[in-house]
Amino acid sequence: MPQFFLNKRLIILLVSIIVLVALIGFSLRERSKLTWPEQFLKDTTGWVQSLVSKPTHFVTGFFENLQDLQNTYDENKELKSRVENLVNLEAQVQELKKDNEELRDILGEKRTLRDFKPLPATVIGRNPDRWHEMIIIDKGKLNGIEKNMAVVTATGLLGKVKNVTQFSSTVQLLSAMDPKNRISAVVQGKKDVYGFVQGFDDKQKLLLIKSIPSGDKIEKGQTVITSGLGGVFPKGLMIGKVVDIKPDQYGLNQTALVKPGADFYDIENVIVIKRSMTKSVNMQTSDGKEKDY
Amino acid sequence: MRKFLLPLLFLLLFIIESLFVEYLPAKVFGMERIFVPHFLFIAILFLTIFVGRKHGIIYAAIFGLLFDIVYVEIIGIYFFLYPFISYLIYKLLQIIQSNIITAFLAALLGISLLEIGVYEMNYLIHVTDLDFIGFINLRFYPTLILNAVITLVAAYPLKWLFEKHSEALRAE
Repeated sequence: MPQFFLNKRLIILLVSIIVLVALIGFSLRERSKLTWPEQFLKDTTGWVQSLVSKPTHFVTGFFENLQDLQNTYDENKELKSRVENLVNLEAQVQELKKDNEELRDILGEKRTLRDFKPLPATVIGRNPDRWHEMIIIDKGKLNGIEKNMAVVTATGLLGKVKNVTQFSSTVQLLSAMDPKNRISAVVQGKKDVYGFVQGFDDKQKLLLIKSIPSGDKIEKGQTVITSGLGGVFPKGLMIGKVVDIKPDQYGLNQTALVKPGADFYDIENVIVIKRSMTKSVNMQTSDGKEKDY
Repeated sequence: MRKFLLPLLFLLLFIIESLFVEYLPAKVFGMERIFVPHFLFIAILFLTIFVGRKHGIIYAAIFGLLFDIVYVEIIGIYFFLYPFISYLIYKLLQIIQSNIITAFLAALLGISLLEIGVYEMNYLIHVTDLDFIGFINLRFYPTLILNAVITLVAAYPLKWLFEKHSEALRAE
């Protein structure tokens, strides 16, 4: 038995397992920001990554343009028919905007949850192991990006900023499983229905919207947007369309399965959303531990 | 020059891995499977086999730590598994003769161990709730096939490069 413990390799293995557990425990706990060696390494690799990814973006962009040229004729036909409808819609939007502004003037309330400032960014990397669905973008603290900001593509909500370093930041996609990550959402209908985006079905590639009271009526095809009630995301970012509804485990709530508007693969350019309306005072005192976005 | 060749090669593979995933569409050959590239780990395993234990494990630890910090943001998973599996493969190839065919098989074994190890760890810390059968179907088979193809292509150049490198080391 003493010989068993004297085995050098075994001791190294045991020590490294202890170190492993300690390190994982350290990095899993709620951190408001990364330690400086991590930030330094991330910034350095981020610089190299952007050096490599810019030319590759150029090359792939060229091939994508070639592919687009092939479909030009069909697309043009379809788009022409859509443009005719667009003129009508634009006039309506103008009218509604005017109406809205007038009504707001009467109320004396200028700011809304909808207002935001967009910050465009380019994707320079993605987590290769794909357990933690994350992308790395080329804008950081110096460009005004902060933790927990919403990130969108042209077609819908993509995720939120997970960590920020000086020159780059990581974005956690909606498809990542993180029980701490909840986004307040609205299913748009005659009566708005509120719920939380919480989890992702890996096999069907659908988002799960949970905590919807079982009495509320939802139909397939309804649009889901962010509600802006969490304090960080603005209101009105497109999340997706309802595909299916099923009752919860205990029948008290229902879960809506939503097809995300954004494509979680092959992402090149994203927009980081900075909400104009800041958090209310009592949210700031909760010291970053608020978990609904 | 020769001194910087290996770190540069590994850094390049480290970045190519992420670029590969960035441009991979959701459906490959019409199937929604998850293909995980392990270019870096294949190269580390070949380094362990053809240059030596010490080199292999040092590179495995450094790039495992880098991988954890930059891509995963949970320090420890690859930092532990890369050197550990490299060591196991080294021990295995001491028993059987190391040539290009056994190195290929050993690399595949190493990648399967890595995938299963990472899955078990992620399951433990609740990063995933995928069951084991789901994991095998969704990730394990596609990943193994992808990496087998890559190893098949890269085995000979890597062997040539590392054997040359180890000769140069011995001459010093």
